[in-house]
Amino acid sequence: MRLSNGFDASASALTAQRLRMDVISSNIANAETTRGKYVNGKYEPYQRKMVVLQPTSDSFADILNGQMSGASGASPGVKATRIIEDQTPAKLVYDPSHPDADENGYVKMPNVDVLKEMVDMISASRSYEANITALNATKGMFVKALEIGK
Amino acid sequence: MNLLNGPEFSRLQGAINAAEMRQRVISNNIANVDTPKFKRSEVLFESLLEQNMGSGNSQFIGRRTNARHIPIGQSSSIPDAKVITDETSVMNNDVNNVDIDREMSLLAKNQLNYNYYVQQLNHDIKMMRIGIEGRA
Repeated sequence: MRLSNGFDASASALTAQRLRMDVISSNIANAETTRGKYVNGKYEPYQRKMVVLQPTSDSFADILNGQMSGASGASPGVKATRIIEDQTPAKLVYDPSHPDADENGYVKMPNVDVLKEMVDMISASRSYEANITALNATKGMFVKALEIGK
Repeated sequence: MNLLNGPEFSRLQGAINAAEMRQRVISNNIANVDTPKFKRSEVLFESLLEQNMGSGNSQFIGRRTNARHIPIGQSSSIPDAKVITDETSVMNNDVNNVDIDREMSLLAKNQLNYNYYVQQLNHDIKMMRIGIEGRA
């Protein structure tokens, strides 16, 4: 049944938004982590992570199939293709007593801006809600369709 | 015999199919609200149907021997719903043009339309049943 594709789109978006939420949680949790990675005998601070989103129907095969079958409109949905690290430089904070301070007393702190993460978090949770609404709407229509001819 | 294949029925069928397709397209738009460079799509059906049916009840009906002929007067064929992508507008910094408020209202509208079509279809079927059984 074609209607179920609406479910697929919303479900893939729920997965993607949940992943965004997880990544944001990880960023906030590690906002003070100075030992994120161990590189060449030195600790590097945690780097902020971001999710890359992409429509599911971007591949050549999908577009070709859509055109060949005459069904206008590509197969719906969204997917998270990868998680990338924010390359902005680490914040330097003067704290000579910190165990990871360098010889000048500066500590490299993660490039996580908690304020930015909170904004992203609200955005992710609102998108999640919107997709739940869309899913419920599709479900309602499906149930209504079952009433045809009753 | 034309019990369930009349113009009323095929029009409703076309409308229900279009509403299903629109639901899919709007779900897709909402799913991609955070995708950079995504462009929203929409479904054209009602305007195409209106074009097909012609304006007013003209008595003069042109005969079409080819699908590419311009229909004159009322034509009974139901157009296929079309998906078009809106490439022109920009909503925010990431060149995405999904306006979530608009999509949510379109979603609600589409759901109500769908329910209305199904109800109308059920009504037609009920009328037919009354006709067949000869009692209300």
